[in-house]
Amino acid sequence: METTEPSRHAGAPRVREFGHVNWRGVWTLYHREVKRFLKVFTQTIAAPVVTTLLFYTIFSVALENRVGSVGTVSFVVFLAPGLIMMTILQNSFANTSSSIMVSKVQGNIVDVLMPPISPLEMMCAYIAGGVTRGMIVAAAATTVMLFLVDLPFANPPAIVFFAVTASVMLALLGMIGGIWAEKFDHMAAITNFVIVPLSFLSGTFYSIERLPETWQYVAQFNPFFYAIDGFRYGFIGQGDAGFWLGAAVMLGMDMLLFLIVHRMLATGYKLKS
Amino acid sequence: MSRSTDSLVLGGRPVARRFGAINLRGLAQMYTREMVRGFKIWGITLAAPTVRALLFASVFGLAIDRPDVTMGGLAFMEFLLPGLVAVAALERAFQSSAFSIVYDKTEGIFTDLAMLPLTPGEIVLGYAAASVSAALIVGAIVWAALLPVGGALPQAPLVLAFFVAAGALMVGLFSQITGLWARKWDYLESVQTFIFLPFVFLSGVFFSIDELSAAAQPFARANPVFYIVDGIRFSITGQADADPWTGAAVCFGFIVVLWVVVYRLFAAGYRMKS
Repeated sequence: METTEPSRHAGAPRVREFGHVNWRGVWTLYHREVKRFLKVFTQTIAAPVVTTLLFYTIFSVALENRVGSVGTVSFVVFLAPGLIMMTILQNSFANTSSSIMVSKVQGNIVDVLMPPISPLEMMCAYIAGGVTRGMIVAAAATTVMLFLVDLPFANPPAIVFFAVTASVMLALLGMIGGIWAEKFDHMAAITNFVIVPLSFLSGTFYSIERLPETWQYVAQFNPFFYAIDGFRYGFIGQGDAGFWLGAAVMLGMDMLLFLIVHRMLATGYKLKS
Repeated sequence: MSRSTDSLVLGGRPVARRFGAINLRGLAQMYTREMVRGFKIWGITLAAPTVRALLFASVFGLAIDRPDVTMGGLAFMEFLLPGLVAVAALERAFQSSAFSIVYDKTEGIFTDLAMLPLTPGEIVLGYAAASVSAALIVGAIVWAALLPVGGALPQAPLVLAFFVAAGALMVGLFSQITGLWARKWDYLESVQTFIFLPFVFLSGVFFSIDELSAAAQPFARANPVFYIVDGIRFSITGQADADPWTGAAVCFGFIVVLWVVVYRLFAAGYRMKS
């Protein structure tokens, strides 16, 4: 009796208090997000690394001796950072989108909406989960790549900057997708018709200069291009877009998407309605 | 009300419903269900592989910086496009039966199959027929989609149909084994990422196996998917790495072995009645 009714001793029951931030709540949700993907690490970490390796193999065996250097580096050195960034993009997106989607389908999304946690806190936890998965996969893929390619690390801070900002961007897009989609089919459609084409056509496999002029112009509006280009710049020290423009685009996209997701969560779009 | 049940009663005594040597109606039902199930989500089963094939064609096309790049005795794109048709067809074959079986398992209705008046042989045939038809449909659509970007008319259409069908049958039977074995979606995804995809991607879709080091050659030639892809490329371009008759024989051998295995699994009720 005593342990279940501690508040009786002080008279009326009291509301539990937090500081400005419900740190414990954020930490708990983040912890859940990370445990969710680590539990199935063969699918969430090993599978993307194997897929990246397969892509590296087919492109290097098919094209290494057929394509001259891209800019001043060899084709494989050009290719490897792009592939690592592709896997960051896809996994950060997959983490938040599948988490929200599964919660919605299984009906336990209320368990995330009910606790005393603000929209801002909630999205920080989700984003951090997506970024954690992106970084773990990136580290694993980079380690494997180092056995195959002689990758220079021209500008390590740029590598980290673009890895994290791109990961945040896709984690936010994943939240939007997860909130919007009503069925797994919708999610598969977003992945197949938006995320995969954008990441394939954003300069992983070729320099943007190879495109016809109109398409070069169009490609400049693809934020994935700046993510891949900036990340590659961090490795090889040269890029198509330039560091500052890339950094500005990434930060701008992150902020814009952050506001959109915050708005969605604050109004309860498709979640509380 | 009672008329439909009365039809089974002859001369006052109920009799068992009779079929010929094969329960054709049951087989047709099952085949129809599989096809409807696959193509109801046509955005995923038809549009997605088409988009993916076009993406692969464009990134390879853009990565190649000279027009005279060749592979296996062909212009590079000429070499690549038949391979992309093969990938799309085989992927559909892999995803057909296994996904259907695991879906039924998660819904708890898979054991219904054991109660139908269908023999194990008929069940295997029903799934296999659906895999092959689905692969032929997806293959044809992807082939047509690749025509504007440099695809070619097949030089030997019947040989093409044979190799797509044989490949789809082989992969479709493998898909049935995977579906029976898998308890959850996770198992399926693992088989797809760690077994199916490497076998397909390293089979010579994107490069001639002559490009591989001498040490890797025997492994590449032991991969049955290599013979399917090579056969499909042969029937479209007339150029092959291996003798098409060898390819046909390898396909036939694998199909027989896989068929026997799948039949035994269904007959024994593996993860179905146990």
